[in-house]
Amino acid sequence: MIFDSYSLLNCAILTPLAFAVIVCCLRPTSAAAIRWLSILGSLLTGVLSVMIYTRFNSSDAGFQMVQKITWVAPLDLSWHVGVDGISVVMILLTGLVGFAATLVAWDVTKRQKEFYVLLMIILSGAMGMFASLDIFFIYFFHELALIPTFLMIGIWGSGQREYAAMKMTLYLSAGALVALFGLIALYVGLPADERTFDVVKLVAFAKGQPFSAGFQHLVYPLLLFGLGALVSLVPLHTWAPIGYGCAPTATAMLHAGVLKKFGLYALLRIVLPVLPSGAEDWNWLLLALLLGNIVYGGLVAMRQKNFNYLLGYSSVAHMGFAFLGIATFTYLGITGTVLLMFAHGLSAALAFALSGFFFAQTGTREMSELGGLCKRMPFIGTAIVMAGFASIGLPGFANFPSEVMVLFGAWQVKAWGVKVGGATLSWPVIVAIWGGAVLGAVYMLRAVRDVCFGVLPAKWQQLSDANFPAKLPYVVLLGALIWAGVYPRELVDTIKPAAIAVVEAMEKTKAREPLPPKPKPVQAKRAVKPAK
Amino acid sequence: MDDVTGLLWRILAGPLCAAVVIVLICRRSPFYADFSPVMERTAGPVIAIAFLLGSTVFAWLALDAVKAGNVMTSPTYRFLDVGDLEVNVNWSLDRLSVMMAMIVCVVSLCIFVYSVGYMHGDPGINRFFAKLSFFVFSMLGIVFSGNLVMMFVFWELVGVSSYLLIGYWYQRPAAAEAGKKAFIVNRIGDFGFLLGILLVWNVTGSVDFSDIRNYLKVHSHEIGGGVLTIAALLIFCGAVGKSAQLPLHVWLPDAMEGPTPVSALIHAATMVAAGVYMLCRVSFLVFASPAAMDVIAWIGGLTALLSAVIACQQNDIKRILAYSTLSQLGYMVMAVGLSVPQVNGYMPAMFHLSTHAFFKALLFLSAGSVIIGFHHGEQDIWKMGGLWKKMPITTACFTVGLLALTGFPGLSGFFSKETILGLAHERNDDLFVLAAVTAGFTSFYMFRLLFVAFLGQPRSEAAGKVKESPWVVLGPLIVLAILSVIGGYTWMGIPGWLVGEKGLSEVPAGGNVLALAMLAFVMGLALAFAFYYGEPAEDPIKTKFPLLHTILWHKFGFDEFYLALVKYVQGGLAALCDLVDRWVIAGLGVRGTAAVAQTLGKMLQLFQTGNLQTYAFLFAAGLVIILYYVVMQ
Repeated sequence: MIFDSYSLLNCAILTPLAFAVIVCCLRPTSAAAIRWLSILGSLLTGVLSVMIYTRFNSSDAGFQMVQKITWVAPLDLSWHVGVDGISVVMILLTGLVGFAATLVAWDVTKRQKEFYVLLMIILSGAMGMFASLDIFFIYFFHELALIPTFLMIGIWGSGQREYAAMKMTLYLSAGALVALFGLIALYVGLPADERTFDVVKLVAFAKGQPFSAGFQHLVYPLLLFGLGALVSLVPLHTWAPIGYGCAPTATAMLHAGVLKKFGLYALLRIVLPVLPSGAEDWNWLLLALLLGNIVYGGLVAMRQKNFNYLLGYSSVAHMGFAFLGIATFTYLGITGTVLLMFAHGLSAALAFALSGFFFAQTGTREMSELGGLCKRMPFIGTAIVMAGFASIGLPGFANFPSEVMVLFGAWQVKAWGVKVGGATLSWPVIVAIWGGAVLGAVYMLRAVRDVCFGVLPAKWQQLSDANFPAKLPYVVLLGALIWAGVYPRELVDTIKPAAIAVVEAMEKTKAREPLPPKPKPVQAKRAVKPAK
Repeated sequence: MDDVTGLLWRILAGPLCAAVVIVLICRRSPFYADFSPVMERTAGPVIAIAFLLGSTVFAWLALDAVKAGNVMTSPTYRFLDVGDLEVNVNWSLDRLSVMMAMIVCVVSLCIFVYSVGYMHGDPGINRFFAKLSFFVFSMLGIVFSGNLVMMFVFWELVGVSSYLLIGYWYQRPAAAEAGKKAFIVNRIGDFGFLLGILLVWNVTGSVDFSDIRNYLKVHSHEIGGGVLTIAALLIFCGAVGKSAQLPLHVWLPDAMEGPTPVSALIHAATMVAAGVYMLCRVSFLVFASPAAMDVIAWIGGLTALLSAVIACQQNDIKRILAYSTLSQLGYMVMAVGLSVPQVNGYMPAMFHLSTHAFFKALLFLSAGSVIIGFHHGEQDIWKMGGLWKKMPITTACFTVGLLALTGFPGLSGFFSKETILGLAHERNDDLFVLAAVTAGFTSFYMFRLLFVAFLGQPRSEAAGKVKESPWVVLGPLIVLAILSVIGGYTWMGIPGWLVGEKGLSEVPAGGNVLALAMLAFVMGLALAFAFYYGEPAEDPIKTKFPLLHTILWHKFGFDEFYLALVKYVQGGLAALCDLVDRWVIAGLGVRGTAAVAQTLGKMLQLFQTGNLQTYAFLFAAGLVIILYYVVMQ
């Protein structure tokens, strides 16, 4: 074995960063070198993520490949990496989407060097986000991944790119700030000698001594809405359609595919295990909002005329399903959510990649101007049809088993049952299936018909299909989607122990009578803010 | 008892492999440039037919295995296993499934061969066969699936293959639209189906058919009738969608935009019958709730009658047959609802399903043969006429199918329809009358079709020039015609085989029933003769009863009603949400916040004059105010 296991994680974080530095040193004119080095960097990162995944032992609960180096001892701040079933799946997702996105970035023509550097930085940030077990670094990598996207939209975007970039920046920074307040509250809420940035310690501590119900009630909404903004929880979603509508293809892929999952990941990793009573208190609100995501997002998607806006709203709707799994607080639902994060990451990235492919030639994503693309682009057209079906949860794609798990998990929640003629039906599930299966089919199939089928307008007769190398990113994403859809057991078995750990932590933290809050020590003010 | 798992995998793998292989290699490629014409034109059909033939042989072996009493028990593959949800990929191998599989394989084989002729010269022929093979794979998956979730998986997959095949000529807007409509309407049915699965799982703790059956045997009293009724009805929603029953029948006539072999295979013989098959598969659940059975029977009966009436005034040859399919499916669903579990269970429904598969495929393929004669240019029966002289074999085959459909004594449809009528007579007089009237209408619209399109003189120039189709088209017709004739006899073994020891003999079809059915048949024939035999130039009903014609022509307005619903209710909601999103959330909420911040900034800006005296004045004023407060306190 060449590596210690943990160095795989470090490598996955540092490799893209190293390539970013290398590319940075190249002259802007050597476009080919820039491209191939970046592709090599993302390929290596992808291979590392696959290695991490294969080396991960799914029968073991708890964190693996752990490395902890104390950095600032008084604050208990350390470089702490490690993966469990949830993060390893997310790392695999990052590796796959990152590789595909770097390949797709071939269509970038201006300032390639800067673009690829930013792309590599995002990749590194995403890897770090999922590999870190220290709140400071989680926050740091979260920002490291997000900030380049604002630049990319502003500089390389299309349409109202500056407005979109500004809107997204303000929105997500505000969300991050609110979440930061929540995280600081968590830190400060601990007794002075127990304060830590270490997620594992924090969760373990909360198991033993839960935060008081009042504290949880106050802090949970900060984190829910702060993180929710990043996941486009209604009504904090309006950045998503315009952001994706104007973003360059690779950015949209990474943002919708990977970065959007940050909020959900942090909820699962930090918030639920530590603040379960808070989560229960506010679950009614979360339920209302997530159903808003599913139904309202779906209805608004129907009115969209631009393909990317439609995809943006569709991803808003799908995030509702992911939240639904979390809101169940069941083992089944949470496992489903994690698989859905993986599935949606792939399918959203695939859809944006495909729309980017025809956009590069047609210069428009207005569906009324498109049509009949299957004729000139059989491969891309077929892939669009497949991406559409993946998005509406067709069996055979990863979205199906994950949505099934979420729905079955939600059906188990006793509080959501309504009696109909002796049978107990779960009303949120009814609403969610209607929104996801029926409304989803309506808008997605309409879009597929408008883009792929029908008569090919005369002006698009010269379009050309993807050639062999250009097919690679789509094949990678589709292959992963189908693999996880036909054979979900492998991923599910990986996720299960971690999902159980989340649910168990919640149960433990709740089961105990919450301790009376300790008098807050005066030194609390001295606690240093984690980062910004 | 041998384990026949391998056999089942092979049956299923055949068409799937065919689809994958065709997609991968049947194209122009630098690797085999010399073979490109072969690979692009001929290889696809050959591969598809070869693999299907293999599957048919394996299905035949499976049939023998079931006869010999071999069963398959062990789950073969774990799909999902999380908490309380356990889904295995396991198969149910029994009389019901092997018989259905044989029907699917034999009819598919005929239609595959036929398609070679029908799709001749179409540039996308490989794509066509790949999709068709994928459909057969999914359909066999439904047939063999051993639990509800697996059935739902394949249920969706046949839905998507149907979507792709209806929209095969995707450049025609009507075809693309029809495929979309079919999928969405089916999704509405599946919405109920999925809820039903969830409910059954919640109540019984399993999705596996045999587990549920065993659980219900013991616990059905504890569960209570209400729950079972709701579960059965929710699952029935799936069948309503897939088998196009009222009120979700609207997609099937539009699905005729697909190529005719597709209409024959998917939208007549097999896929649309999947709903009926599914009800038989979960008969333990359906039969547990008499209330649900009543609803099912009535929905089936009404669908049968309503679509038979609509068929009387359609002019497109394929649409007439489509409404006829709806009507016959209604019979089957009604038969499921009327079943007597102690006597012969779902046998009447499955019996009719099997005979219908043969004769309806035959009718569609004959219609397709006519369409080939018109060079894919004409489907209006009022522009045909006189085909019997030009296309004698097609006409003969069509007539066989017609007689089987209308229940002419001695043909397969006669036996199966008599069985259902007898059942209705025994169980529910109202439905019996309804079914008999439907039989009369069936005979009327089919003979109308025969008189107008096939007999008499050519009604258009094109009709005078048609030629008989090639043998690759006629061969399958003849095979299906033979099956349509003999499919109902007990020595074919279908009815007896289905219920084991309880055979056809126990089916009550008394003399009265027979007499009434014959009366309906003759009445329909006589009316059609009176109206249409004298070669009227246009439909006499249209001129004599314009109101009736308008109502039927508009199919009782279902489509218009749904369109209005979609446009105004769903569209209105979407527009409302869009407005809210645009103006309230993005506008007032987000931009409003921005605007407030900006205005505040602007207001503060007013103080930033850059003028030292102003600053000094403001400073002094502030100081005075503060001092005032401090001093006065």
